[in-house]
Amino acid sequence: MAVDMRLPTVRKQISLAGSNSNADGKHLVVPGDVITSDTGFMRGHGTYMDDEKLTASVAGEVERVNKLICVRPLKTRYNGEVGDVIVGRITEVQQKRWKVETNSRLDSVLLLSSVNLPGGELRRRSAEDELTMRDYLQEGDLISAEVQSVFSDGALSLHTRSLKYGKLGQGVLVQVSPSLVKRQKTHFHNLPCGASIILGNNGFLWLYPTPGQQDEEEGGYYTSLELVPLSDREVISRLRNCLLALAAHKVLLYDTSVLYCYESSLLYQIKDILKPETMDEIVMVTRQRLLDQEG
Amino acid sequence: MASVQISEAEKVYIMHGVRDDLRVDGRGCEDYRHMEIETDVVSNTDGSAKVRMGHTDVLVGIKAELRRPRPNVPDEGYLEFFVDCSANATPEFEGRGGEELGVELSNTLYKVFNSHRSLDLRSLCVCPGEHCWVLYVDVLLLQCDGNLFDAMSIAIKAALFNTRIPKVRVLEDEEGGKEIELSDDPYDCLRLRVDNIPCIVTLCKVGHRHVVDATLQEKACSAASLLVAVTPRGAVTCVRKLGAGSLDPDSIFEMTETGKRVGKALHAPLMELLQKDESLGKKRQKVGFLA
Amino acid sequence: MPVDTKRVRGPEESQSPVLFLPPSTQSPAGRSGQGARGNADIRPVFTRCGLVSQAKGSSYLEAGNTKIICSVYGPREIERKDETDMKSGRLVCDFRLAPFSCRKRGAWIQGSEERDLSLALLESMQPGVCLHRYPRSQIEVNVMVLENDGSILAHAVTCASMALADAGIEMYDLVLGCSLRQDGDACLVDPDVLEEKGSWQSGYEENQGRVTLALLPNLGQVSGLQADGEMREDALPAAVRTCIDGCHKMYPVVQQAILRAVKKKAPPPEK
Repeated sequence: MAVDMRLPTVRKQISLAGSNSNADGKHLVVPGDVITSDTGFMRGHGTYMDDEKLTASVAGEVERVNKLICVRPLKTRYNGEVGDVIVGRITEVQQKRWKVETNSRLDSVLLLSSVNLPGGELRRRSAEDELTMRDYLQEGDLISAEVQSVFSDGALSLHTRSLKYGKLGQGVLVQVSPSLVKRQKTHFHNLPCGASIILGNNGFLWLYPTPGQQDEEEGGYYTSLELVPLSDREVISRLRNCLLALAAHKVLLYDTSVLYCYESSLLYQIKDILKPETMDEIVMVTRQRLLDQEG
Repeated sequence: MASVQISEAEKVYIMHGVRDDLRVDGRGCEDYRHMEIETDVVSNTDGSAKVRMGHTDVLVGIKAELRRPRPNVPDEGYLEFFVDCSANATPEFEGRGGEELGVELSNTLYKVFNSHRSLDLRSLCVCPGEHCWVLYVDVLLLQCDGNLFDAMSIAIKAALFNTRIPKVRVLEDEEGGKEIELSDDPYDCLRLRVDNIPCIVTLCKVGHRHVVDATLQEKACSAASLLVAVTPRGAVTCVRKLGAGSLDPDSIFEMTETGKRVGKALHAPLMELLQKDESLGKKRQKVGFLA
Repeated sequence: MPVDTKRVRGPEESQSPVLFLPPSTQSPAGRSGQGARGNADIRPVFTRCGLVSQAKGSSYLEAGNTKIICSVYGPREIERKDETDMKSGRLVCDFRLAPFSCRKRGAWIQGSEERDLSLALLESMQPGVCLHRYPRSQIEVNVMVLENDGSILAHAVTCASMALADAGIEMYDLVLGCSLRQDGDACLVDPDVLEEKGSWQSGYEENQGRVTLALLPNLGQVSGLQADGEMREDALPAAVRTCIDGCHKMYPVVQQAILRAVKKKAPPPEK
């Protein structure tokens, strides 16, 4: 039985020697700051025109693409784009669709016509399917899906029409800020340490034990409730704590950074990873390795 | 209490993990999360403390006032508790949503700290039958991430340790009327003996085993929990069953035993930390609300 | 504290005459006299179902001088507020003490103690009711204490489960309540109001405590437990076991009363 009590200390932001140059190049603004008085630029998200002057309306970093200026807030709700992989939780079962919570401004929508029926059937949805919607997905279930389109009010329309998407089984959900998840070609990774991860673009990260080879991909409606072995559990718990440590230090999350962090955390016990000094150490080692790899 | 929605598969995962003594964040069934305790954060109060356990943040302020003692116990002072769940903690507490939870928490605190043996209420008496010190203990929930009772009781104990009540003298004048005189020296004050104040341990029943310091996800998997208030000597002052499920009598005995053991082991590091905090005095690094 | 502006109350400085009584009348008479009940005996219980004709189910219970009446309304549909109501129903409990029920006049507006008792009642009753059979519905249980002579929470639990049975609500088992007062070495089951309070000096003595327990007798599950006061190590488990025995003793009486009410309501056999 362990109890860890201590007096609070002011946490310093750790920074590496080589990374200081990065901070100088960023143009950071707060709402009301004038970005430029030049009228030759087009207005993008996060800005407004005030007396011929382009002013920022959110606190963030200025991005310039040729003639387009927009301000990207650093901590924001998830703004979906077509093709993003997301992990979401069902909040409501409505007439022909499910409402999914994805950490965005509005709940996303999963239409009945956008899911795979169990068994992989391809047929027209009948009235009976509508009545048995709850048998497929209930309130509280987790799914992985892809963004099909964006409605005019900003709500996302999702689909699970591939065999790799669908209802998620046993595992652990970690919630981080959406801006920390790096955009990559694939978001499903089978990590060599013995677990798998889905890095949702909306900041929901799903850790689960790697499914065995004999499991067919059934479109994801069969969830195995078998006992997950202890060794897999330890790996998953360790990964979860590493993800939280990386998120607390605002490190970009992708498979390499997660793996480096896992390896540098092997020195410590799983429950000690979340202590402030251990977190600092692990993240520093990870950052160093990432810099070395890039340079 | 604020709750999260979880799927059936996640529930099964958590329950199997608890059975194997490996919870989702790597802790054992009887381990607490990392805690940070700071006293004397609010200067307007007579005693205050702030406890941070995971993402649960609790702030306690104590103010002492002179009032008439209760009619049936004229030579004792008393404590009044008030818990405020503000909308800062979670959006569910907006408006009157947090009021119900606040009342439930206050009532439990009254029961836990009611015992005469925990705090020497006679020391709070100034003039029997006429004046006594009343300690108004106000608890603010700043952030809610499960396990509110434990964090609150630790914060209350730390705040009571930090409380400095000014010393008063009662002067009698010629007509027999009594006058109260406050001592001029701001450092001349009465400190409370907090040796025997209990700490609350909440045990949640998950599957066939029970866990200490449950997170919101683990709470969503458990049907019933047991709240045990334990003093440093290992005596139990209050037991309450919470939640919508039922418990086996054997589970209750088991959980009470675990609660006693865990609670007893909680007091020693806490007192040590509070003594260290006090001895640092002016050199202590004041963090306040910025960390 | 909310102030009652509709009813006329005495001046602020008024005090109840109870405070001026000599302490001897306030301490309990011992239980060892001839004809008095023993430490482990519960008071004889009188109970009837089906008194309030407007309510779906109701019951009245008397134990010594404690008089409790309970009525059940529902199941009724509720407007959908959150998702949990889709799968199971909701139980709403309201516990009230009549102002004339205690020695000192109480307020009509629900104080914090009554809210605490309502919550304890809800927690004790919930495991016993098959709420999953009433999705999106709400069942209301209203308990009113007419005279408080000790152990009100325990007897209210029993009374409420009888009213629920009378209303035809599906339950896994009856919920019975029993309370106990540990006074030094004496373990008094089903205390009356004087035994419950004790004298104010007893707060400084050893081994003082109160235990209230709610039990599902056939399943052997404890659905509610409240224990206050610093008792010795072995005293608490022993007190819990004694309360469980007390509940089992009360079971036949409660069963009889419900069966009698059912027989009265059943139509006469066809000739």
